[in-house]
Amino acid sequence: MDNFLLLAAIMLCVSGMAWLALAMDVHWKQVNSGPLPAQSVRSLRITGYSALFGSLACCLVVDHATMASLVWIMLLAGSALTIAFTLSWRPHWLRVFAVPFARAN
Amino acid sequence: MFQNFRLSMAWLHTWFGLVLGFVLMAVFFFGALSVFDREIDRWAVPESRFEPQPMPSFDNLLRPIFEKMQPTKTDIEQFSSRANGPMPEHFDTPVRWGAYTTHRDPVLNIFAGYEVPNAIHHDDAIFTSSTIDPRDGRIFPDDSLKIGSQFFYPLHYSLNFHWMDLGYWIVGFSSLIMLVALVSGVVMHRKFFRELFTFRPNKATQRSALDLHNLTGVVALPFHFFFAFTGLVIFAGIYFPVSHTQLEQLHDQHEIHEAQVTGLPHDRAGIAAPIASVDAMVAEAQRRWAERGMAGDVGFLALSHVGDENGYVSIYRAGTDRVALTGEGIHFKASTGEVLREDPPRTVVANVNEFLTGLHLQHFRHWLLRWLYVLGGLAGCVCIATGFIFFVEKRKRQYVKQGSQNARVVDALAVTTVTGMVLAAVGMLIGNRLLPGTLPAGWPPRGNLEEYIFWGVWVLAMAHAFWRSAPVAQARMNPAWVDQCFALAFLAPVAVVLNWITTGDHLANTISAGYWPVAGLDLALLVVAGLAFIAGRHLRRKTQTESATATNQLGSAEVQHG
Repeated sequence: MDNFLLLAAIMLCVSGMAWLALAMDVHWKQVNSGPLPAQSVRSLRITGYSALFGSLACCLVVDHATMASLVWIMLLAGSALTIAFTLSWRPHWLRVFAVPFARAN
Repeated sequence: MFQNFRLSMAWLHTWFGLVLGFVLMAVFFFGALSVFDREIDRWAVPESRFEPQPMPSFDNLLRPIFEKMQPTKTDIEQFSSRANGPMPEHFDTPVRWGAYTTHRDPVLNIFAGYEVPNAIHHDDAIFTSSTIDPRDGRIFPDDSLKIGSQFFYPLHYSLNFHWMDLGYWIVGFSSLIMLVALVSGVVMHRKFFRELFTFRPNKATQRSALDLHNLTGVVALPFHFFFAFTGLVIFAGIYFPVSHTQLEQLHDQHEIHEAQVTGLPHDRAGIAAPIASVDAMVAEAQRRWAERGMAGDVGFLALSHVGDENGYVSIYRAGTDRVALTGEGIHFKASTGEVLREDPPRTVVANVNEFLTGLHLQHFRHWLLRWLYVLGGLAGCVCIATGFIFFVEKRKRQYVKQGSQNARVVDALAVTTVTGMVLAAVGMLIGNRLLPGTLPAGWPPRGNLEEYIFWGVWVLAMAHAFWRSAPVAQARMNPAWVDQCFALAFLAPVAVVLNWITTGDHLANTISAGYWPVAGLDLALLVVAGLAFIAGRHLRRKTQTESATATNQLGSAEVQHG
């Protein structure tokens, strides 16, 4: 169960960073052909931050708060690096995160 | 002096970062390796490749070993400057016996301290330590070096430079400067959030190096900041030795006062007394921890004033499940086994201190967090290395015009601290597997030879980097980068193969048996080789394009001239 929750924490953290990156025009354009719809910025940010907090919640369930905070802070760093490198070399992989926000508009 | 604050910060960041960056590179890299120091030990000392063990029975196993322990010749030599006259040959009065283990240690570290009758400072004691197999009490030979915990780890905080404790001071000063570099870096960075996810590998080297420098610096900023800061906290006692200088008397008084408060005797009584069953005390301590809802294993066991009426036994719980080292100490009277004291819950200040040191020293059981720490450490290395590259790229053309050799020196030192350092570590592992089990008479101890190999390879890598650095003076790349990447791509798998040949533990074996300490290091070496190969090939292509462009330019210049 603990491993499952930690895995969820990792996935939520990476997804959160992906959405936060997509909320920026320059990265949105790396992933999608069209420009970033103005209305999507807010929803992308909210989804992104919620995912990051969801990740923190998972960490807190698994470990004592002192340890969970360390795990989460390090996960933020790891996820941001993952997303940055994905944007540099394989931006289309992030399309899956962008689809719902492109279609809605 | 500077037009604005940002420019002055840039100056500070550039020059202090450049000078101390070379030290910080080693601190970060060997810090990242130290996260898995115990696992590297398993690889380097094949006899210790078995599962982690709990603290063994004191009465049956540890006590006879402690009773036979004596300081080694080296211990005695090292102490001699702190004694009046010649050192005794035999030490009869043990001050302290201790055994320490963690959830990652198959072997047990034990130490013993003895009174020295002619010591200059009357409280001074001579200490010796040993590593034993906790299953049968077999003692590991003194000369086998635990490369992870006895070499890479101390290299991380002292550079293994012990003359006048200078290594500690250099590392401490560098950490302080690192905090300055972090703050000044944040001030300089114009697009902190806007470029959070930005890395453009296809732009000019100068731009991509700066991108990577910013990226690895910013996303791991909390890690960089906290580790530099907590590193300083851990060694505050060395950097501010007030308790043994200005406040020495107060410190001594405090010890006596503390002894009165805790009821744990400060001095020997001078009356001999037997030692009751320590195993029974351990059982009682574990019962009391379980009662408090924190059942756990023994992390640290120590006997003070051994064999004396005032002797006591301290038993500490291993801090496996929290950000702490050991704790919840329970102290027993050694001669009777009655409980003298249970450590009270810690104060807020002590808790904060424990958290700060614990988060850095990481004795907890959390593999994900361990790996994330390695990632943080390596991100730090990338940040510093790209800082060097940016420095060279930004200035090399200007230096060419001035006919200056500065870029050559910085670039060669960058090669030394990036690929050279990894080569030295890999070289040491290869040396460890190649040296015969028993060395011919007259050779230095095995561990020393391994250390010489490490420093030797590093010096060679440095010489090579300087020797090949001429093209940098013409604003081209140092071919040593390519050479050393390919050397790594070749040597790292050699270490893996040698491990297989000399111990029979090849990857299929260790992975199927789930013996991750050894499998993990082998896999890491293969990853290093793979990355080094990709980097080497990429850089070689780049040098070829560079020289082709240079030839073309030369050719067209000649045509124009003709």
